[in-house]
Amino acid sequence: MSPLRRPPRLRLGLRARVMAAFALGALLLAASMALISYELTRQSLIDERERTAVRAAYFDAAVVRSGLDTDAPDVVEVLRSLDTGSSRRALLHLDGRWHARIADSGLTAAVPPELQQLVGSGQPAVQRVRVDGQTALLVGVPLSDSATYYEVNSLWELERTFQALALALTAVAILVAGSGAALGWYATRHGLRPLTAVADAAEKIAAGDVTARLDPATDPDLTRLSTSFNHMVDQLARRIERDRRFAADVSHELRSPLQTLAAAASVLQRRREHHDERTAVAAGLVADEIDRFQRLVNDLIDLARSDQPAHRAPVDVADLARRACAGHDLPPTLVRLAAGTPATWRVERRRVAQVLANLLDNAVRYGAGPVAVRLSRDGDTGIIEVDDDGPGVPVEDRAAIFDRFVRGRAAHARGTGDGTGLGLALVAQHAAAHGGTAGVDDRPGGGARFRVALPGSLA
Amino acid sequence: MTAVLVIEDDDRIRLALLLALEDEGYDARGAATAEEGLRAQRRDPADYVLVDLMLPGLDGFECIRQLRRDDDVPIVVVSARDDTHDIVAALEAGADDYLVKPVAIKELTARLRALRRRARAAAPVAAEPVPVLAFGDLEVSPEAGEVRRAGQRVPVTRTEFRLLCELAEHAGRVLSRQQLLQRVWGYDTGDERLVDVHVGRLRQKIESDPANPEHLVTLRGLGYKLRR
Repeated sequence: MSPLRRPPRLRLGLRARVMAAFALGALLLAASMALISYELTRQSLIDERERTAVRAAYFDAAVVRSGLDTDAPDVVEVLRSLDTGSSRRALLHLDGRWHARIADSGLTAAVPPELQQLVGSGQPAVQRVRVDGQTALLVGVPLSDSATYYEVNSLWELERTFQALALALTAVAILVAGSGAALGWYATRHGLRPLTAVADAAEKIAAGDVTARLDPATDPDLTRLSTSFNHMVDQLARRIERDRRFAADVSHELRSPLQTLAAAASVLQRRREHHDERTAVAAGLVADEIDRFQRLVNDLIDLARSDQPAHRAPVDVADLARRACAGHDLPPTLVRLAAGTPATWRVERRRVAQVLANLLDNAVRYGAGPVAVRLSRDGDTGIIEVDDDGPGVPVEDRAAIFDRFVRGRAAHARGTGDGTGLGLALVAQHAAAHGGTAGVDDRPGGGARFRVALPGSLA
Repeated sequence: MTAVLVIEDDDRIRLALLLALEDEGYDARGAATAEEGLRAQRRDPADYVLVDLMLPGLDGFECIRQLRRDDDVPIVVVSARDDTHDIVAALEAGADDYLVKPVAIKELTARLRALRRRARAAAPVAAEPVPVLAFGDLEVSPEAGEVRRAGQRVPVTRTEFRLLCELAEHAGRVLSRQQLLQRVWGYDTGDERLVDVHVGRLRQKIESDPANPEHLVTLRGLGYKLRR
């Protein structure tokens, strides 16, 4: 079961993977959309800005030209008369000298020599340049052979707009990716719901309810899954029923002749004193073996059907333990209920009674008699411990003694033991039916300590 | 001598049981079929009847029902079947106890002795008058061995009567299934279904609506109580 449960290496779950795929897809889509719209917007805004700048430069150039077209032109005054606002700055190159409206050394350096040459030869030109670390649009208009007019348009505001746009588009892309992930989560939640139904049904079946089935009509895409699942459960249920019926048949077939033997043996036992010695010994052997056979059949039947979960009800376990002691002719004072442990636990009475009886039986047979039956708790787990005064159990035998048909190997008591070899196997199975465990350890001070943990008994 | 009728179709089992019971001092009688057993019981009633469930012809369940129709003789099922379904059905048909084969003879005679104690307790004891216990329209008279509802006598078996007396003597208090098993059936640890089915049978007789009992109530997880 464990290789199925634990994947060989760490992998994201189906749901996480679908979510990641949705998020990545949405991010790619949103990012490319954002990039395209950013570029398109940027291009059209720059074109628009360029057209405006050129138009304004031509207009200003005309004003300057007419201002210079006098006998003694005042260049500074002409430049000052231009209505350029704050975003345009005018430059005039006249007879090999630069003129600006305000003293600005950096501005003239911004005009590249190639552009000067081009405009000087009578060609109007536009170029993007960097002025004071900012991009700007430089428009050059030739006025005459000796005069050229330049206008520097700051693109700072436009850059700001682009930045804001980029920020907005990035935010949108992230938002879309997030929505993609959310969509993926939602879709898988719905998509995986049929699998949840399968898991629920499987859990019910594992817990012993073989009537659990999937509804094949819920989703046409999952019909095959639910049909094959139901088919599997049908097979399983049939098999369980066949096994159960076989166990019932076998037990019936064994029990009926045993009844005859038991009654006949009791007749023989009653007349022991009338027999000669040999017959009396033989009759005693027959009676003892029938008794053991009877217990063996009962233990086998118990073992065959005890793999179902326990039917819990409130049970006074301390009282049960005292009765078990009385049943083995042991003093009830052996039973010790730890402080803070209630006497009443939620367990299946029949199973816990058998656990106690079998542990006491084991202690009497192989452990030189029990010295204590301790009841305690660990959280909501009820713990039953039976201590004995025997030789203890070797470490290598500690798991094996809970297997079927293993008897007191360490004590070499097999020859004389009249146990069924199923007692501790039943203890382990009853513990498992409560979701718990059975084990054995050394008792401090010698002997063995058998320990049965029953989780959920003290909820 | 106490008479026991053994209704068992397996000749060997029947013979062995008869031998063993005779050894224990019972007047043991055998019947191979339900019909034969019913005839024998009508002709010369035994004090106890042991019934197997799987019988040819009339089965054990029907045999118990017909025996029960005639009188309140203690009936013990001795069967190799241990299905909950079979056990409950046999008890509902009217059996007083259910033993799964193989039963040790010592265990079987101990069960019969426990039933005998019950039969005695249910029989009238003239020594000192015990008052009639009344619970609304329900009257239990331990001395006369009678139960009346609204003045009408209600026929109950001895085991049912013992169970009712036990609850009536502790009226208003809860008795757990294990306590009832011990006091009524003499079991140290026994099958609680015995109590549940007998309580169900009693309710059919003493309650006007057995599904919603007003006298004999269940306290979930604790046991049963007869309301004052």
